Amino acid sequence: MKSFLHIALLVLWTATALGQTSSGTITGTVKDTETGQPVVGANITLRGSFIGAATDAKGKFQLLRVPVGGHSVIVSMLGYERLAIEGVIVARDQVRRLDVMIRSVPLQTEPVIITASRREQSLQEVPASVATLTARMIADRNNITIDEALRYVPGVNMLSDQVNIRGSTGYSRGVGSRVLVLLDGLPYTTGDTGEINWETIPMFEVERLEIVKGAGSALYGSSALGGVINVITREAPSIPELRFRAFSGLYDKPQYPEWDWSPKPRFTSGLLASYSGKSGSVSYLVSAGRTVDESYRENDAYHRWTLFTKLKVEISNSQSLTVSGNYVYRSHGNFFWWKDLTNATRPADGQRDGLVTSRRGNLSLAYKEFLSDKFFYTIKGIYFGNFWRDDSLGRVNNVSASHLFNLDVQATYFVNDIHVLTFGVAGNFDKVNANLFGSHPGVGAAAYAQDEIAVTGDVKLTAGLRFDWQKVSVLKATAQVNPKLGLVYLHDKETSLRMSFGSGFRYPAIGEIYIESSTNVSQVAVLPNPDLKSETSVSYEIGINRSVGNAMSVDLALFSSDFENLIEPSVQIKSYHPYPGSLVEVTGPVIQFENVTKARIQGLEAVIRVEWWKKFFSTDVGYTYTWSRDLADNTVLKFRPRHIVYTAGAFSWDEFRVSADFRYLSRIERIDENLVRLAPIVDGEQRVAIKLVDINTSYDLIGLGLPIRAGFSIKNLLNYSYVELLGNLGPVRTYFLSLEGIF
Amino acid sequence: MKRLPIAAITLLLLSCDHGLAPPPPSTFKPGFGGTVYFEKGTWPGPDSLVGLWIFASQEYPLDSVKVLQGLLSSPPKIFLYPSFTENLPFSVDSVSYSFLLPPSTYYYVGVIQQFAPELSTRSLRVVGMYGQSDVPPLPIPVVVTETDFVKGINIRVNFRKPPPQPF
Repeated sequence: MKSFLHIALLVLWTATALGQTSSGTITGTVKDTETGQPVVGANITLRGSFIGAATDAKGKFQLLRVPVGGHSVIVSMLGYERLAIEGVIVARDQVRRLDVMIRSVPLQTEPVIITASRREQSLQEVPASVATLTARMIADRNNITIDEALRYVPGVNMLSDQVNIRGSTGYSRGVGSRVLVLLDGLPYTTGDTGEINWETIPMFEVERLEIVKGAGSALYGSSALGGVINVITREAPSIPELRFRAFSGLYDKPQYPEWDWSPKPRFTSGLLASYSGKSGSVSYLVSAGRTVDESYRENDAYHRWTLFTKLKVEISNSQSLTVSGNYVYRSHGNFFWWKDLTNATRPADGQRDGLVTSRRGNLSLAYKEFLSDKFFYTIKGIYFGNFWRDDSLGRVNNVSASHLFNLDVQATYFVNDIHVLTFGVAGNFDKVNANLFGSHPGVGAAAYAQDEIAVTGDVKLTAGLRFDWQKVSVLKATAQVNPKLGLVYLHDKETSLRMSFGSGFRYPAIGEIYIESSTNVSQVAVLPNPDLKSETSVSYEIGINRSVGNAMSVDLALFSSDFENLIEPSVQIKSYHPYPGSLVEVTGPVIQFENVTKARIQGLEAVIRVEWWKKFFSTDVGYTYTWSRDLADNTVLKFRPRHIVYTAGAFSWDEFRVSADFRYLSRIERIDENLVRLAPIVDGEQRVAIKLVDINTSYDLIGLGLPIRAGFSIKNLLNYSYVELLGNLGPVRTYFLSLEGIF
Repeated sequence: MKRLPIAAITLLLLSCDHGLAPPPPSTFKPGFGGTVYFEKGTWPGPDSLVGLWIFASQEYPLDSVKVLQGLLSSPPKIFLYPSFTENLPFSVDSVSYSFLLPPSTYYYVGVIQQFAPELSTRSLRVVGMYGQSDVPPLPIPVVVTETDFVKGINIRVNFRKPPPQPF
């Protein structure tokens, strides 16, 4: 402990000392070109360094400790053109004045994306369909978890906790994911089952989500068959702040008295608080939270404690080190599916007493250094530990412990005005110990490279390749090569065309290969399958993005993905040894994960945003049509809705905001009949189209001198009854109150 | 452009139904029912009594492979009561049942026992059937229609004198 303190002090001292070398100051204002008004919250940074500031309420900014010499100053702000001012020279102890005018731009160029190419790009430079969700959008909807927030993104739908991008995943019984989730750029799936654990993502500290649609294994490796979701946590502000968010929700009565199982009202509530700031070159953020959900269903309640911390040290103007970690404890009732449709809020008889407790946490390190204003590299590593057990009637059923390490070293080199090279190596180590999966290690390594080529001023080509090598336990190692190719053509300032091709793969999770249970599922043996191969995908997309004035943007995309060797659990009659080492062979039904089928998913997506009446009112419409086929038997793929429609309208007037969301997902045409029969899920085939309306209002009390925002939401306003997943009734109408403050 | 809000409102109105609903209590469900009588003193020991179900098969005769295939086929050709994961009660003299099934002709109805831990071709045998007491006994088909619930399908089980195997 003492040594750690010494090292920390040394780092702090070094950082401070380095900051005191010969330097000057840049000060100035940022104003809107058209209105001449100050632009509040614009970011001013020096290219190739961590020196930066934001404009205050008068549009003023100040950059301190600017090294003597010439600099490129970058000015960026949502809704404005990104501006680079070259050749800003600062002399020793000089206060250099810089007044900047920036121009507002059409909507579609707003977000800066880092996930598509592992570096900052404007959305128009990206040759794939990308959606973003900001912290503000998440808070406006009173979303408590990331998976809940994703339910409002065009082309994305959830089946319980499994995420689909344009129908990629379907439902794989909680094992594996065909969408890769990254936490600050590093893979974030569990070591045992390869699934996404949403609850461990520090929702309160999220700055934004980036959702890149289409296969992305050429940059990110396994699991990125259908797309990549990058969760980006926020940076601590330069001025210390205490933030909190408190919410309380009340579940309404279900639509039918048969489903009203609880004699008392059911609540959900939570309190999240964080303290963050910057001292010298060290910025810090500590966050803690407690959430309780009594649930609208019996034996579905949970209690959750969360802790998150992030520490960033700017070692010098060109070097930074970030350490972050989180810990989540959760105790959750084990509601798998309903008793039957008459008792849709009660669990099946065998699940009335089940309880799952989990302890999950991660620790990550990220080091970034600019060697020049044209070359920087990052070294990132993360450890993700997952420990869970499920109990029933005081008896422990299943226990799992998994440890997963990921390391990624990446460099980006702005070679010249034409080429930007991004390349790196990655590695992972996995260790699982579970009664269902056995004890197995896994190890992997990868190398990747990408070149972005400005063919002309209007045409940009992106080409990339990644090699992945994986080995699990004593099985034979396998290798994958995944290419990508993208093209963006900027027809004019308001229109861009894009085309992309990419491939993806998913190496089977240790849980899928090694799961073994003699009579775990309905007396049907579940057997391991060491011959399981990676599933693969190839995606194509062509799209157009056009803005009409400053008030409307339209994005259209046609997409097609082919999947091979899809891994799914299958039920077959086979001969097997009933337990390891048994000399007796029996013939009977067994469940095994197998490479069962090939599939094709094609479709189109349209996203339209319009701002009305001087931007007081906005509407968003997203429509995704998905035509999915199982090519083995020419049938519709299981668990894919054909139509997804998301619409939203928002009205803002000074401190007041009201918005409404409507979500429509057509009835899932095909389900897993074996799951219904063998589980068995009584009335498991019952399902309807999903039609949900949410209303959100908020009022900013800043006008009253209080830095507090009060919100009220009604989710599922019409109390519509539906299932996303077989035998799982969706949430009933819920009233939410929230208070959010920054001091 | 002005039609967009109208389209949104139309979509909202379309969502005015309430989605899923519990089935009405009076909903008729086809099937058959009766009582299973167990011969006293013939119950096997717990080691050889892992599962016990009433089965209804759309085909006859059967063997254990056909039973497993029929259970797993899509749509299934063989149905179990109470369910795949639940058994008839053990060590009782009789049990009444109501077996809800899709309309069809069930040529072979009886009681099947699983006598080993693994559900396999070697662990199943028929221990009683709904049929004529001829020698050898023959099953009587049970016809279930959309509008019928057939009563009086009583089955006698003697674990020591099962019907001829394979079944």
